[in-house]
Amino acid sequence: MAGSTAPSGSRVRRQLPTSPWLFAAPGFLVTGVFVLYPFLSTVVDAFTDRRTLIPGRFVGLANFRELLHDDMFWIGLRNSTLYVLGVVPALVVLPLLLALLVQKNIPGIAFFRSAFYTPVVASIVVVGLIWVWLLDERGLVNSLLETLGAGPVGFLSDQWLLLVSAMAVTVWKGLGYYMIIYLAALANVPRELHEAAAVDGAGAVRRFLTVTVPAVRSTMVLVAALSSVAAFKVFSEVYLMAGPSGGPAGEDTTLVMLVQRTGTGLTGRVGYASAISLVVFAVTVVLMLLVLRADRKDEA
Amino acid sequence: MRISRRILATAATAAVLLPLSACGSGSGDSSSSDSSGKVQGDISFQTWNLRANFKSYFEGLIADFEKKYPGTHVKWIDQPAEGYADKISADAAAGTLPDVVNVSPDLAAPLAKAGLALDLDKDKAAAKYKSEYLPGAWAGNEIPGLPGTYAFPWYLNTGPLFYNKALFKEAGLNADQPPKTYAALFTDALQIAHKTDGKVATLANVPTIEDFGRYGVELMNKQGTAFAFNDAKGVELLTKYKQLFDAKALDPQALTATPESSGQKFLTGAVAMNPGSALDLHNFKTQAPTLYKNIGITDQITNTGHVNMYVMGLLVNSRSKEKPAAVAFAHFITDAQNQMSFAKKVAIFPSTAGSLEDPYFTKEDGTDETRVRVAAAKSLKTAVNYTPVLFSDQMKTALRNEVAKALQGKESPKAALDNAVKACNQLLQQG
Repeated sequence: MAGSTAPSGSRVRRQLPTSPWLFAAPGFLVTGVFVLYPFLSTVVDAFTDRRTLIPGRFVGLANFRELLHDDMFWIGLRNSTLYVLGVVPALVVLPLLLALLVQKNIPGIAFFRSAFYTPVVASIVVVGLIWVWLLDERGLVNSLLETLGAGPVGFLSDQWLLLVSAMAVTVWKGLGYYMIIYLAALANVPRELHEAAAVDGAGAVRRFLTVTVPAVRSTMVLVAALSSVAAFKVFSEVYLMAGPSGGPAGEDTTLVMLVQRTGTGLTGRVGYASAISLVVFAVTVVLMLLVLRADRKDEA
Repeated sequence: MRISRRILATAATAAVLLPLSACGSGSGDSSSSDSSGKVQGDISFQTWNLRANFKSYFEGLIADFEKKYPGTHVKWIDQPAEGYADKISADAAAGTLPDVVNVSPDLAAPLAKAGLALDLDKDKAAAKYKSEYLPGAWAGNEIPGLPGTYAFPWYLNTGPLFYNKALFKEAGLNADQPPKTYAALFTDALQIAHKTDGKVATLANVPTIEDFGRYGVELMNKQGTAFAFNDAKGVELLTKYKQLFDAKALDPQALTATPESSGQKFLTGAVAMNPGSALDLHNFKTQAPTLYKNIGITDQITNTGHVNMYVMGLLVNSRSKEKPAAVAFAHFITDAQNQMSFAKKVAIFPSTAGSLEDPYFTKEDGTDETRVRVAAAKSLKTAVNYTPVLFSDQMKTALRNEVAKALQGKESPKAALDNAVKACNQLLQQG
């Protein structure tokens, strides 16, 4: 009976091309509606003068030409780039060191692992508010500094200190996330390599540089890629700490903040904001390619 | 069934071209309308952060309307204050704008330009209600460059200036004689900063467009086609603010402050003066009792003799399927009786003709709340909404950024205001 119900070979061949498409259809649908369509819509809008409530007309490269003369765009590009340069090295190195600290199975270590991970799950709005209270001119940090005889530091009123403060918050919030990734990578580093290095007389630092780092190098590249894209697209930390205007005179505005400020609201310039979005997209793609290329070069 | 390459290519092409379909014409219909048909059907009504405190009031009001007009049903939607304009713009763009929407004139302007707001002057049913409102309030929802009026006037608001008497005394000032003019304000602010070694600022916010208006600066040209706040008076105001900033009489964090953060600084005694409304008195009483004991209340400082007021309105969606019901409901909410009952629940002021003559707004009973209310109602008779209707959020940001550059000394006040006016005019022309 089994033989009679089994599909013939030719029927199987006829069904093969359809069934994969059917299985993939929900995925295609979701990707198409929520990823592809908005992306294509953004690409099209970038070449129009569309506003929130007013349909756009095709304006060619006018938005991109305007970008070149927009001081705010260059400020945004500068800040987003500085964010990558400031945040990525810290997020590649510090979580690795943290992972080494909590890697050991000693009593109570689970508490520290959870504690270090807490900022990751905390709401960014709450995190931002807490840090604003801490760094305010009359906040805890400045009170401590004043007790030590140092004057109040304008963490939230000085253009550069504000940006550095926001970077510190990003690093603080991201440490736990990347620490977990490194913990997984460290678990796969053969213990024999460490033992062999120790037998050869290598100290802790030497073993870290010659055994641990090469073993987790691909994870470091992954962390660099993920954190650089996230850093270039930073919004929440700076928005919460610098305010909607982007810090004093808007000098702390990042590119994504500029997209939000330009393209939203009833009078939003959707076309222009879309052009800025495309620049953000292009830069993040280039960043990814650069990191991956550096990785391939290292492997070669 | 095979999926041919042709079908895939067609789908891909459609995906690329579909977004282009958004690029069409969409201007509103400006011909006269008549919403005087039968009041019936389901309508939606959106308020601006009112549910938390006035749920029962609005539910009662809606029940009264539904009883008055059998066959109607009102769905009440309330949106939080944060991101209100974004919510409206998302609804408007998606074609889901409620039938009746709570707006301020600057929010009504882009909706009117997009043809989404009913012109009340042209609508036969709505126009007949015009005489029920204060002329200035009705005119408050006119949009420069567009004929007509685009929202029913709802409540008006203005507020006094609060000051901390204890901080004034500490600085050697007479706490019973707060500054009444800008000149006195600047002198007192510099003295407070000097006496407290810069620890107490008098003001916590950079000057906004309303401040320029109150200082006596002509905000726009006579035709209302271009901004003009970079005149000599505007430069003078910004120069004075720069002196305050340098002396720490203006809070160092003013460049990034929001009304909430500056209110917080006033509560903690870091700032000596802050604008507010009668509602704030309750907050002071519960959140800062020490401050409440020392609270001083004075009029808004103005060089023009006219204080600033905020105007709220109810816009009727021009594409509403139940326009007669929407117009009737917007009028019902804003009629003299209902505005008066709302005013008695909260510190706002009705925009209907004659309402401000009610003893509730003219007679004091000795309490601070009444004193603030009576004084505010009196000042409202000549108050001005200094925020130009066409002054968008993007323009506010441009002005704020240029003001910050001037205060930091990166630009002269004149250059900063010239740049701000240029940027605002550019945005104005882009429509």
